[in-house]
Amino acid sequence: MKEKLHPFHISVLVFMIQCGVVIFFLPRLLAQHMGYNGWVSLLFFSAIAAFNICLISIVYRLGNGRSIFQIFEQSLPRLLTFPIYTFLIGVWTILGCIAAKQYIIIFQVFVFPTTPPMYMKLLFDIIACSLIIKGIYNISKAATVFFWLVIWTILLLLFFIKGFEWVNLTPFFFHESSNTIAGGLSIFTAFLGYELTLLLFPYVDPKKGFIKAVYFGNLLTTLTYLGVSFICYGFYSFNQLTKMKFPLIDLLAYIRFPFIERVENIFIAMYLITSLMSMTMYIWAATETAQSLIPKANKRWIAVVLVCAAYAVSWFPDVLSEVELWLKYFGYMAVGIAFGLPLMLIAILVIHNGGRKIA
Amino acid sequence: MLRRLLIVTLLVVVTGCGDQRILERLGFIQTTSYDIAPSSEGESEQKLLISVTIPRPDSGSETGSGSGGVNREFLTTVSSTGKESRINLSRQTELQLVSGQLRNTLFGLSLAKQGIWQHIDTLVRDPSISPRVKITIVNGNAHDLLAKNYPFHPRTGQYITRMLDKESLSQVVPSTTLYQFTKDYFDDGIDPIAPIIKESGESIKIDGIALFQKDRYVMKVEPKQAIIFALLRTNIKQGDISLDLSGGNREHEHVTFSSLVSHRSVKMKPSKGSFHVDINIKMEGSVLEYFGALDLESEKDRSTIEKLASEQIQAKAKELIAAMQSNRVDSLGLGKNIRSTLQYAKWHNMDWRDTYQHMDVQCHVKVRIKDYGMFTK
Repeated sequence: MKEKLHPFHISVLVFMIQCGVVIFFLPRLLAQHMGYNGWVSLLFFSAIAAFNICLISIVYRLGNGRSIFQIFEQSLPRLLTFPIYTFLIGVWTILGCIAAKQYIIIFQVFVFPTTPPMYMKLLFDIIACSLIIKGIYNISKAATVFFWLVIWTILLLLFFIKGFEWVNLTPFFFHESSNTIAGGLSIFTAFLGYELTLLLFPYVDPKKGFIKAVYFGNLLTTLTYLGVSFICYGFYSFNQLTKMKFPLIDLLAYIRFPFIERVENIFIAMYLITSLMSMTMYIWAATETAQSLIPKANKRWIAVVLVCAAYAVSWFPDVLSEVELWLKYFGYMAVGIAFGLPLMLIAILVIHNGGRKIA
Repeated sequence: MLRRLLIVTLLVVVTGCGDQRILERLGFIQTTSYDIAPSSEGESEQKLLISVTIPRPDSGSETGSGSGGVNREFLTTVSSTGKESRINLSRQTELQLVSGQLRNTLFGLSLAKQGIWQHIDTLVRDPSISPRVKITIVNGNAHDLLAKNYPFHPRTGQYITRMLDKESLSQVVPSTTLYQFTKDYFDDGIDPIAPIIKESGESIKIDGIALFQKDRYVMKVEPKQAIIFALLRTNIKQGDISLDLSGGNREHEHVTFSSLVSHRSVKMKPSKGSFHVDINIKMEGSVLEYFGALDLESEKDRSTIEKLASEQIQAKAKELIAAMQSNRVDSLGLGKNIRSTLQYAKWHNMDWRDTYQHMDVQCHVKVRIKDYGMFTK
């Protein structure tokens, strides 16, 4: 029997895909688009993500644990699956590589101001590629190791209790919000990543709580985001927060230990692995899709080709603002996929199952 | 497998050669000063006089070499902006100038009166600069103060930073950092403050607290009032206050409270279209020095001293609050407290400075003598 993913590993994996580079500037997005006490709105976004996970769970149950590609291929002609698969491969690959590029640019600004970013991106992609070709079980194990490497940094928030002022939170809720819809979408992209669990169906043990694990992963992400954003709202003044490019990095820069200060460079480097996991999983998802598109191709070579393609694409946007723009639009598309794909699958399953009783 | 590992290891390790920073070749700027440059003829644009100090342990003070026997390098230039000055300053030294170890920025008083936000903006924007960098105002010319070598203090920059660190431990002198200044600058319910220093012969001394309206220096709290200001603004963990209780039929009566601990709370209620604010201060300390007719050992006399001290502090606080109100600076952050009792529309439709200037602020002080030393008469 094939090895199956343990629910805990699934939770960790979901957390690691969700929690990426967005956390550096999430508090600012909240302040700009959700206004005063915008951190509260995270609960709302988390609920939407949970609803989306619920859709995924319906697909899982209706499809009896079949992989989504099997569901597609059993009901749709190849003429239809081809564009869908191509679109998925395109969006996931580019989203993965652009998110990584954004991290690399931020890292470069703070740590190696004059090193060419694409050189660092190359190193990053080599690690991602070697993970992808090892398959999902190894990725999830690596994710668990990386998870323990980063999760303790949450404790650093305790450092800010002293400077935290309740009065900075103000009694106002969501006033001075602007561009709420577009901004809300951008904030929601911070939760993206759980939709890749659609591809995990063949790799999970149906007897163990797969969907519960996904919910738990989402909860973990929500708590992390809430913690960071809440501290930022209390530690900075509201108008200041709307103007800070990367509030989390500023927070980290404020930390001073008796023996060392300016430790943010170390921590930024540590968050590399969360970005790495996001990229790895998106390109892994694209690889899985490409495999279904060209079943005869060698999976390893698909991964190598996709990583190379991703590397080539990431040459195009070369300044931070361009990367942000790309990320915004591909983020929107990924949100579309996150909702569209399960809905489409549910529709197919309902029609295909027809009068048959749903198991 | 091994070969692949080797390639990856090499790739990672070799990256280090790309962006080198060799310690001996770096000039760590420790302190920067900003002043308005003396205007030269025919120039309409106001320029800045910017100076930096760089510790140079290699220049050695024993032999009297280095800059005047002091192991620091002092560079100065006139330029339009802070970052432009870096380029000019860099031309004057063999070291690569970096700001990662910047500890303090000094602003001359005349520049502070014009507003300092655009210089602070440059500092906040630079990722290599720590949010803990201090902001200090110099009563006079910051360049002159920094340029001078003080005989007992080998490095002027370090001397100022350490002095401010020590003084701010007690909260009496605020430790204003980039983080704190930026936070208060953007907050609509408080105005920023910063310590003022001044050259005084062979040394430097703290000369009070600068109060800003947004980023513009407006008024100064005298060193003697600094403790009163601190009592009004925050909770003090350690401090000293000396009070002259003379007045009425009392003559030459002095009391000094040491190891002062205070707690401040603010209460407010709306009154006649404005607000009534009560600042309650509870403080206790040891009396280790008392000159006067009363007897420290008598319970009754001690409570008289407590009462007199309370009245004295209350009167001084009232004076200070009135001065701040007439200058329209809310350095105590009363706006923040009021904001948290109001609805959004009410707060934003209110001209806070106007309301602040005319509202009724009362201060209530309760002094307790914790002990009176280890000697009886």
